[in-house]
Amino acid sequence: MKNPEKAIELIFDISIPFEERCSKIFEFQSAFNPIYGRFIEPFGLKPTDKPDPLDIPLLPIKGFKDGRIVIETDREPDLIFKSSGTSNMSRSIHLILSRQIYEKALLEEFKKYFPFNEYIVLFHLPGYDQNPYSSLIWMANYLIKSDPSGSSQFVTKEELDGLKYLFQNREKKILLFGAAFGLMDIIESGNFEPIEHLEILETGGMKTHRREMTKPELRKALSDGFGVLTDNIHSEYGMCELLSQMYAIGGEWFETPHWVQVSIRDPKNPSRICEPGKEGKIGIIDLGNIHSCSFILTDDRGVMNKNGQFKVLGRWNPDDLRGCNFLIDYE
Amino acid sequence: MSDLRIHIETVSKAIDEWLQPDNTDLKRAIDRTVEEGLFSFQDIKHQILVLKSTLQKKNLEIWAERSGLEFNSLKHSNILCLHAGNLPLVGLQDLLASILVGGDYIGKISNKDPFLLPTLIKKFVEFNLVNEDQWSTDLSTFSGNPMNAVLFAGSQSSAKEVKSSLRSLNMIDSQTPTLMRTAHFSIALIEDNDTQTMEDLTEAVFRYGGTGCRSVAIVVAPYHLDSEKCGFTDYVESFWLKNPQHQKPDESLFYRYAYNKALEIPQAWLNDFLIEEKLSHPTEKFLLYWVKGDFDTLSNLVSKYADGLQSVYSTSSYIGEKVEGYHIEPLSQAQAPPVWWKPDQIDTINWLQKKVAHH
Repeated sequence: MKNPEKAIELIFDISIPFEERCSKIFEFQSAFNPIYGRFIEPFGLKPTDKPDPLDIPLLPIKGFKDGRIVIETDREPDLIFKSSGTSNMSRSIHLILSRQIYEKALLEEFKKYFPFNEYIVLFHLPGYDQNPYSSLIWMANYLIKSDPSGSSQFVTKEELDGLKYLFQNREKKILLFGAAFGLMDIIESGNFEPIEHLEILETGGMKTHRREMTKPELRKALSDGFGVLTDNIHSEYGMCELLSQMYAIGGEWFETPHWVQVSIRDPKNPSRICEPGKEGKIGIIDLGNIHSCSFILTDDRGVMNKNGQFKVLGRWNPDDLRGCNFLIDYE
Repeated sequence: MSDLRIHIETVSKAIDEWLQPDNTDLKRAIDRTVEEGLFSFQDIKHQILVLKSTLQKKNLEIWAERSGLEFNSLKHSNILCLHAGNLPLVGLQDLLASILVGGDYIGKISNKDPFLLPTLIKKFVEFNLVNEDQWSTDLSTFSGNPMNAVLFAGSQSSAKEVKSSLRSLNMIDSQTPTLMRTAHFSIALIEDNDTQTMEDLTEAVFRYGGTGCRSVAIVVAPYHLDSEKCGFTDYVESFWLKNPQHQKPDESLFYRYAYNKALEIPQAWLNDFLIEEKLSHPTEKFLLYWVKGDFDTLSNLVSKYADGLQSVYSTSSYIGEKVEGYHIEPLSQAQAPPVWWKPDQIDTINWLQKKVAHH
């Protein structure tokens, strides 16, 4: 599975049950990723075990900050992604051994919802270009290259203000793919003129330059500001530590690609799965991460519904501090 | 004898009666607390023994002098004490401060420690130092009763909730002085691994399961954890034989142990506690950060983690010195503080007199 072609055959073959693909990748990573191999030992697991996907221990995502999460190989990585952050902050580093896997993962899921024969995709990602290792910028570049019409592109705020005049005889819909705070900046500048057949795909945190917004507040603001029905406001959930992305179409509930499984974990006991409706940390099995670690416990707060879709509610804030806390009793 | 001395003597007398071995009210409260699994008998016993030695009249007088206590400086002032309940009898100092300044104590007793403190409050009622029926585990009991001051401890995030609850119950307004303490951990510097030092460190870290704000969460030592962990573990096991840890950590601590093992972070896994040689802001319970270093290291850490830091301790040569504004206290007093100790570096009596008496 160190061979990218073989890995792709396994990861993206929907005819193989997810459990079987997952089991093979668990065995592979336990054996060849030294960090993950050591991680599962205290749980009494060994590479030849075949645990149910939901019983596989999830490595806390900060592992990408603290260690070199990659399988043993002589190969140099094709790509290196780093999370954004200042020089004082520790940043996640994701070494990508095979760009083919990343390309397939991102394109297959994106095109499922936004095929290029229906959409022109405009990327407005201010600030991200400050990070030369941004996975989001790499993804945007790759999607632009993948549009056979050549119409998809990066756009500045000024270009968006004149969007009405940019594609006058278009037959396709325009998908504006932007960081939430950048989209809010456009709205608040008041120069944007609404256009027909526009859809929004927002990504990134809800923390804008000025304030933190909830997802419903953000969706309402985008809907009002761009003159777009909320049915046409979508969200992307991705991060530099994951090769795969997830999309929420016209709402807040995210779906997963067939090679990804999301579960909500009890922060007090991450081995325990929270029942639908209960908030917890988002746990992700991303088979696309075959050469790093597929079994990840994020620090994001989420909730799942009975249909297996999930919402992202923000960051998990550990407020169970030592000392004299929880003063007003809630019992 | 001055009025103030008489007042202190009365307070002291009430405390002495409360601490008498034949106080059946206190005995029953201890039994019930243990029966209901709120605290271990050993932790309550430790606390009572500490109070026996620290609440003597002469110590109350020292506190009065240090804080500039004036007789009845807060007479007819309602002082609301919100007791946290993370340790047995925690917040007792607030009760004493309220009484010493001559204020009207009003206590929100924690549901996590509902029996112990009321036995002392009742004793104070007998001595006319507290009014009848001025304590409850239900805050709404005092709804509509305007407070002149509020004393509480908690996280920054809980502070907002507390104030909002008090406002909605018409107990405070935006002008009401509130003393909010947010410190939640302490740091120790040790210079050797002598028996006394290691026993004091063990007590400072593991007493009450390490949940107090005076509990040591970071230790600066001249050794790496790996070279010291076998010896230290022996002290911890010996401590736990006499003082079994009452509260157990969540499974997430085991996850942390597995994570440290994966990343090869030096650690000592004690099943109910984790020691690791990797530093971050101490927020988690049942976790001790071990740092190899010296006084300069300590100084840097105190400066870095001042937000949330309660006390700084060390052994003989540094006691009494100052580091980044903190007076270094004896390590042996981490879980046995003098009555005049200053939570969050603020003397409660002094604060009450400045903020409320002259408000």
